Amino acid sequence: MLKFSKFLIACLFLFLLLTKSSFAASSYVLPYPSTMPGSIFYKINLVKEMVLKYWYFGDFGQFTYNLKESDKYLVESKTLFEYQQYLLGYRALQKSDTYFVKTLPNLNMAKTRGKDILENRSILSQAALKHIEVLSRMRASVPSSFLWQPEKVGSTNLNLRDAIDSSIKLRTNYL
Amino acid sequence: MKKIIFLGYFITLTLFALFSYLFIDPNFIYLKPFYTGFFILNRQLATLTYTAFIVVFFLFYLSFFRLTLKNLISKKELLLLIVGSGLILLFAYPAILSFDIFNYIATAKVTFFYHENPYLIMPIQFANDPMLLFTHAANKVALYGPLWILITGVPFLLGFNNFLLTLFNFKLLALLSYLLASFFVYKLSDKSLKVLMLFSLNPLMLVETLVSGHNDMLMIAFVLGSFYLIKNKAGNLLLYVFSVLIKYSTIFLLPVYIYAFIKKVDLKKIFLSSAILMLVIFFLSPIREELYPWYAVWFLPFLILYSTKKEVILFIALFPFALLLTYLPFMYFGFYSNITLFSKTAIIILPLVAWISYAILSKLRSKLL
Repeated sequence: MLKFSKFLIACLFLFLLLTKSSFAASSYVLPYPSTMPGSIFYKINLVKEMVLKYWYFGDFGQFTYNLKESDKYLVESKTLFEYQQYLLGYRALQKSDTYFVKTLPNLNMAKTRGKDILENRSILSQAALKHIEVLSRMRASVPSSFLWQPEKVGSTNLNLRDAIDSSIKLRTNYL
Repeated sequence: MKKIIFLGYFITLTLFALFSYLFIDPNFIYLKPFYTGFFILNRQLATLTYTAFIVVFFLFYLSFFRLTLKNLISKKELLLLIVGSGLILLFAYPAILSFDIFNYIATAKVTFFYHENPYLIMPIQFANDPMLLFTHAANKVALYGPLWILITGVPFLLGFNNFLLTLFNFKLLALLSYLLASFFVYKLSDKSLKVLMLFSLNPLMLVETLVSGHNDMLMIAFVLGSFYLIKNKAGNLLLYVFSVLIKYSTIFLLPVYIYAFIKKVDLKKIFLSSAILMLVIFFLSPIREELYPWYAVWFLPFLILYSTKKEVILFIALFPFALLLTYLPFMYFGFYSNITLFSKTAIIILPLVAWISYAILSKLRSKLL
């Protein structure tokens, strides 16, 4: 029995030694962080974002647009969280979620119009996986909640981890 | 004799149109019953036959030139030759030398059938589309201007989802652009039959526009139209802008327009500067991709309109002849390699060297005499 226990301990040791914890990994590439809130270029980018919505017409175009914007805001959120700009990061994350949920309906619409969506569906799964990977890292580095106290206005409690959990859950449905 | 030349010319054109069907791509499902595999199985014979056709076309070109010089071709007869060439070659299979016409249709399909932005979405993204079998640039977003894409909506929609009908509609568009350009050349040359003949019956114009259906002719037709307006003191930039919005190459003619609007209009100077600018862009095109024979459409009309001196005529006959022969290495070998690229470059350079030597020698001779 002792021998077996020693054997089990050895196995467990080997298991712990050889196994390293890893996040979900995806080959999908996220963009570099763009301009951040507060910059004049950020406002220009908001206008560009509105104009591009019409430039990216069509089902595949809208799919690409929404996914690109979702990617952009996810990276923005991550960067802002890293600089402890929690309110701005929180808002960027919400924007990323809003864009992300608009991706699949466009693909479904394309499918009903007879377009082959397999490749884009695969891209969406890869993107969802990458987003989850990034969100999981973000979750580990942010406080569970943050009390935002602006001047002259009442304070707001931001449940950051809940928001990230919700974003992860949302994307899990797209894998 | 003249009638025999005309008849021989039309027979040769018809034979060339028939010959083009020997080049049907094995994946071109719409003409599967006509596929013979001839050009794959008999590369030497196909190359020789093509060369023979090009030589004969240029012999006819020179014959027509001689007849025009002697005033033996009337306006009506020239019109018959131009329209007849257009109608015969309208029915030639377009992808004998280039697959661009399929790219045009693919881009139009992305826009008008799939309702997607062709500048963002590539044809290859529509995985089950049968066009992907034979479209060579399906992995590229639209390369041409928005006006071109808009115009292609007409032949595409009039094809009613029938590919062959769409294909010949695109060829019809090329024919119309050829006729439009010919009309403006005729008007700009003060109704010179010689200039019209040199332009419209140049085998490169015929093959690249009427057979392959390239859109370069429409781009140039708009520029010629704008020059015609300038000539008639009704110049504005609208037709020029249209030209740039077809295919961006003519943006390099902007200095010519600035000059034309600032200085007093001198058409000869406009033609010369346009020819020089487009010739420079033509030779710089390998920076972007490759020097394609149909890019000669960019400068040849201006050169023809500028002068019909012996040296110029020799150039506009010799250089297009060489350009049409640049297809030979690929036709013969069936693949791109160092030898095909070297042969192609040699075919372009040798006649140029010959022409430059001739021009220098004739200059020296005239000085000595």
